[in-house]
Amino acid sequence: MAHRHLRRIVLGLSPLALLLLVWHVATVAGAYSSVLLPAPAAVWLIFVDSWPDLLRHTGTSLVRVLLGVGLAFVTAVPLGLLIGRFRPVEETFDWTIQIFRCLPGIALIPLAILFFGIGDRPAVILIWFSAFWPLIITTIFGVKNVERTLFKVSRAALASNLMVFTDVIFPSALPSILTGLRLATGAGWLTLVSAEMIAVKSGLGYMIMYAQVMFRADQVVAGIILIGAVGLFFDQSIQLLRARLCRWQDGLVIQ
Amino acid sequence: MHLSVSDVSKTYDQRGSHVLALDHVSLDVAFGEFVCLLGDSGCGKSTLLQIIAGLEPASQGGILIDGRELVGCHPDTTVVFQEHGLFPWMTVLRNIEFNLKARGMAAAKRHEIAARLVETVGLAGFEKKYPHELSGGMRQRVGIARALATSPKLLLMDEPFGALDAQTRSAMQAELLRLWAAHRSAVVFVTHSIEEAVFLADRIVVMTPRPGRIGRIIDVDLPRPRDPTSEAFVHHVKIALETLHTPRALLAPS
Repeated sequence: MAHRHLRRIVLGLSPLALLLLVWHVATVAGAYSSVLLPAPAAVWLIFVDSWPDLLRHTGTSLVRVLLGVGLAFVTAVPLGLLIGRFRPVEETFDWTIQIFRCLPGIALIPLAILFFGIGDRPAVILIWFSAFWPLIITTIFGVKNVERTLFKVSRAALASNLMVFTDVIFPSALPSILTGLRLATGAGWLTLVSAEMIAVKSGLGYMIMYAQVMFRADQVVAGIILIGAVGLFFDQSIQLLRARLCRWQDGLVIQ
Repeated sequence: MHLSVSDVSKTYDQRGSHVLALDHVSLDVAFGEFVCLLGDSGCGKSTLLQIIAGLEPASQGGILIDGRELVGCHPDTTVVFQEHGLFPWMTVLRNIEFNLKARGMAAAKRHEIAARLVETVGLAGFEKKYPHELSGGMRQRVGIARALATSPKLLLMDEPFGALDAQTRSAMQAELLRLWAAHRSAVVFVTHSIEEAVFLADRIVVMTPRPGRIGRIIDVDLPRPRDPTSEAFVHHVKIALETLHTPRALLAPS
């Protein structure tokens, strides 16, 4: 077990280490001026010197994305469960979903600013919008894949509609919902950083834009690294959550 | 409890054409009786079971339980499904508790009943396992335990041992008879295996396909446990075999 963990870490970090090496060599060789391409060491200094600022911006971004994705979860999952279960509800919403899910959240930034001004509100609403569609689609998919026999078992057991949702449909669809959550956090995070570049005056996106204006390439790169790191963190957390909640799938599916 | 299948017909719409799955089927099952529905695929035996369970409506006729028309599923009836129908995300114990939970029984009480049933079906030590961690025979034991949890008066079984290997299958048949002797109830058991039907049933309802009808009802008056190699046993198998393979016109009207 320890051996496998070690292997995972070594293999997982090796492309990143290679990238770091290429980056370092490029700066030493002087491929670009250091104003455009800062050395890894220079970026490291940003982390050392201005970590309180970085932490503050990262924290702001994190809160927004958690709020937006959380909001998407509590709205998309219940609606998705209903759509997947009841045909008329699906017939009502299907076309609307297919239209709206094709709109990139970023395209709605101008509208969001017009309606909600500058600040947290447009950012959170845009994240909610981006996270909503992957979640609702995977939820519907999850419900539709519930084994038909299990509905018969429930009916023969005289289970209430509510119990069918809580004890049959939801747990059965949970792996699919968590896949949706993974996609949703990715989409939300992507939208957030873009939104912060335009619609807000704080957060990692804003920090990067501001650093660009100030010709601080080292800060730009530090911001990019943080965005990537948070993305990885989200993904791993949801994977962990899935491993915990869907233990019954161990050995059933390849994870 | 008395089950009465009263002149039931069932038609399906299949790509625009009507398919007659059951054609005026009538049958009575008394409490404590073990009845097998025997027939080749397409004879409507599973459909009939679904209708008795209240999971499918009859197109014509109806089901009477103690003289009352069945609407939906009956609380005294439980079903053991083909391929077990267990919830893959529930442990053995929680699967067995499901029917009790659906009836609103308090958690402590249903744990107690489920724990006792785990012992009864010989799965002690496997309470916390998930269905996919069990063998086929063990899964079906869980399915049977779940069905017995509510102390049903009518137990409906839809080819429950169809997916099992021959050895496990005969072990499960003996096990089922033991449980049936302990938890007396009426059993309607669907199978396409003649030997299984003769081994288990008090009466064998032989069904013939296209459209599904009752060909003949064979009384099996052999003492249990039955010996599949005995002359009487083989004789009953022969009768069933003949019925299955005789053109309908030659059969006495049922």
